Amino acid sequence: MNTSDVSQTGQTRIATTTKTVLREAGIGIALIVLILVFSMTTQHFLTASNVTNILTQVTINLILSIGMTFVILIGGIDLSVGSVLAFCAVVAGTVMTLPGLDPSTAVILATLSAVAGGIFFGLLNGFISAYWAIPSFIVTLGTLNIARGAALQVTNASTIYSFPASFNAFGSQTLYGIPLLFLIALVLVGIGWFVLTKTVFGRVLYGIGNNEEAARLAGHNVFFYKIAAFTICGGAVGIGAIVYMARLNIASPIIGIGFELNAIAAVIIGGTSLSGGRGSIIGTLLGACIIGVLANGLILLGLSDFMRQMITGFVIIIAVVLDKYRERLTKV
Amino acid sequence: MKFAKFIAAGILASTILMPVSGYAADKPVVGLVMKSLANEFFKNMLEGAKADEAKRGDYTLKAVGMQSETDVETQINAIESFITEKVDAIVVAPSDSRALVPPIKRAIDAGITVINFDVALDEKAKEEAGVKLAFVGPDNRGGAKLAGDALAKKLGEGAKVVIIEGNPGADNAAQRKLGFMDSVEAGKLDLLDSRTAHWETEEANTLFSNMLTAHPDIQGVLAANDSMALGVVKAIDAAGKTGKIEVVGFDNIPAVQPLLKEKKLLATVDQFGQLMAADAIDKALKVVKGGAPLEGWVKTDIKLVTSDDVK
Repeated sequence: MNTSDVSQTGQTRIATTTKTVLREAGIGIALIVLILVFSMTTQHFLTASNVTNILTQVTINLILSIGMTFVILIGGIDLSVGSVLAFCAVVAGTVMTLPGLDPSTAVILATLSAVAGGIFFGLLNGFISAYWAIPSFIVTLGTLNIARGAALQVTNASTIYSFPASFNAFGSQTLYGIPLLFLIALVLVGIGWFVLTKTVFGRVLYGIGNNEEAARLAGHNVFFYKIAAFTICGGAVGIGAIVYMARLNIASPIIGIGFELNAIAAVIIGGTSLSGGRGSIIGTLLGACIIGVLANGLILLGLSDFMRQMITGFVIIIAVVLDKYRERLTKV
Repeated sequence: MKFAKFIAAGILASTILMPVSGYAADKPVVGLVMKSLANEFFKNMLEGAKADEAKRGDYTLKAVGMQSETDVETQINAIESFITEKVDAIVVAPSDSRALVPPIKRAIDAGITVINFDVALDEKAKEEAGVKLAFVGPDNRGGAKLAGDALAKKLGEGAKVVIIEGNPGADNAAQRKLGFMDSVEAGKLDLLDSRTAHWETEEANTLFSNMLTAHPDIQGVLAANDSMALGVVKAIDAAGKTGKIEVVGFDNIPAVQPLLKEKKLLATVDQFGQLMAADAIDKALKVVKGGAPLEGWVKTDIKLVTSDDVK
């Protein structure tokens, strides 16, 4: 079935929307169940300060997951996001600590350079995998090493610290208990949602994920769209790097190891199909929240570190198995 | 991920192995097996060793590092190639206190002087393999106790504290935890929780925020390294509890200097990593030149660092 074709009939569009809503409802229910369980079993879970904590802890993974959703929707994968995050952070950190810059100029230049760094690696990932038709799995495995090595080379393996005080303070600020950093992520969720659901560009991305050949035959420049998806992912990583720096006040070449796996997990738990063409940003938002709530709640429960790791693994598997059933039930 | 490691090992082997060409026949060759050079601590250690090589000029240094903290295979391969090359001495900081014992035994059997530094090999594994080997390194347990005692002195008896541990299974992480526990017992502190953040800043930040939710009355934190202490201090700031919770760390990395100065970090421990490899190499060369073999545990310097030490 071609849910993607821009000229799809009204009927299939409504069917698609209903399906998406059903899928998201399922994930939402899972999240609510988790929240209920933790509220009943732990004393501090639903306190204002803990909600602030969870939102802070979700933020970086959420930002990376938004970008990852674009890549997975076209049937790709980006394993380089953790390393690229480190690369963007050390480039931005170097810029931010340049002598003689006033704080606001330093922060703006650093942000621009982080996003530019992310976009550069996104373009590289997209171009290589699209031009030579190489699976993005292997291309991004290469750039994973390139970005990590470059980050270490730039800094000579040292940690960059002492950012402007205002930048550091921004990282801890909240608005009615909601961290400003999380609000940045929410804005990105909004943009991602709009692009994927309300624009032709977004619908074509779904189309490529469903059936690349059909999208090509329909006259879409698949080459361009693929590069665009990876570039969006790279840009999101750049923003993620700045958010990391604001939250922790350091930039180090060894940060972000394994972040790609958490981002992929959030996207998949959120109901996006690994083979592409199916999924949503709202699902990704819920998926990232599930991971964050789980990590937080299990610590509050007092479970051992090893048990926590096992349970997180089980939840990922349960989520995808449930998704299989949901898929059958909601098939038109 | 096997493939990633394979690529990583290839890249490392080609970049980190020093130029092999033409070392003078009379100069002894020392093979240095390091841990992750992505870690500032080991990178500084390697630079210290290179500086020592340049300064002394009477030996040739060949160094190999790993891509990540747990990449045991690279170390085993490095030792095996050093055996093939018939180096005079191997100086090794094991990434795993058991897995490295068999290759080290092969090196000793091949007549190579082996010095174990930084992390001690497992006593039982050594005994089973019939390996007698001295250890040159810091007393992590004693160091952690120095930091823990500083915290206990500051907070007084009955203070509520938590421990942020290093990687489960790593010997220095285990030793530091034991040292912290010694302080908890000696200072009659109330230990509320003890968990790992895998040496990482971000994970420590998340973990400590959550611990603080579960135990809002925490008064002190014992972090097993400074990277994690950085994350803890930021979590304290974010929770608006600056100055109300005391933190101690370990390693004395440059990034904690401002925190020591602002008294957001009560104390950390310096184990003089830069000198550690060079020191072990000097000891190896003495044995190569006919000195008596080392025995037991040759302790290297450790020092408690507080705001008084930062200008």
